[in-house]
Amino acid sequence: MNNQYEEMIGMKLEPFTYKVELSKVRELALAIDKNQPSLQKKDDIPPTFPTVIDYWGSPYSIFDFLGLNLEKTLHGEQEFEYFGKINVGDDITVHGEIEDTYSKSAMNFIVIKQRFVNQEGEIVVIGRSTLIEKQ
Amino acid sequence: MNIGFHFEKIHKEEITHTQIVRYAGASGDFNPIHTVVPFGEKAGLGGVIVHGMMIMGFIGQAIDTWFASNDLVKFSTRFRTITRPGESITVSGLIVGETEHLWVCKAEAVNEHGEIKASAHFEVRK
Repeated sequence: MNNQYEEMIGMKLEPFTYKVELSKVRELALAIDKNQPSLQKKDDIPPTFPTVIDYWGSPYSIFDFLGLNLEKTLHGEQEFEYFGKINVGDDITVHGEIEDTYSKSAMNFIVIKQRFVNQEGEIVVIGRSTLIEKQ
Repeated sequence: MNIGFHFEKIHKEEITHTQIVRYAGASGDFNPIHTVVPFGEKAGLGGVIVHGMMIMGFIGQAIDTWFASNDLVKFSTRFRTITRPGESITVSGLIVGETEHLWVCKAEAVNEHGEIKASAHFEVRK
């Protein structure tokens, strides 16, 4: 099956840095549940917050970068491994790469790995997103 | 707690278009498949679909009520079927295994008809 993304395996994405602001943490928590009490504690960063760092911090669209068709692409799977804590005020730098691509059942699968590194140089989260594009 | 322990289910309010727009702004994911009804229709989806990451966010919210958030070490979610505004999600979960230091758990997000939207695997420090 044709997989035009195969040659992208191992390709590194341009790193970018995002400052974690309390207002964005609260905004995500309230989008998930508008009844959640206002978050006062730094401990309360939702576990899916790295997605905010990704979309708001990235200077480019992964869809444009890969040439994916927005109408035919879905988010198939998401994984986060937590090695440390993300805190309000952190400067998180994201190092992304195309970890894998494969095709099956007339669909292209693209796995993007992202390392979220804080200002101390510690990897706090590793994320893996699997995008599925219908052929 | 022990293997087979079921966590208290979390019942979410019906997802509205407004919540989708709010989630788009919060997350920065402005893919029109989620926010622009004519685009969703053109894509053959019959309208907009909910961000998979909002559903994963619901599961994350449930995990945060079941455990202290600092104890989460791994959280993965597979998006099984698309979700549309008007659906109401319930998140359930249970412990399926353990190691010396971790609880290994599963969670599921289903709609009001029991249709599975997302299934998750997560590991939490004891």
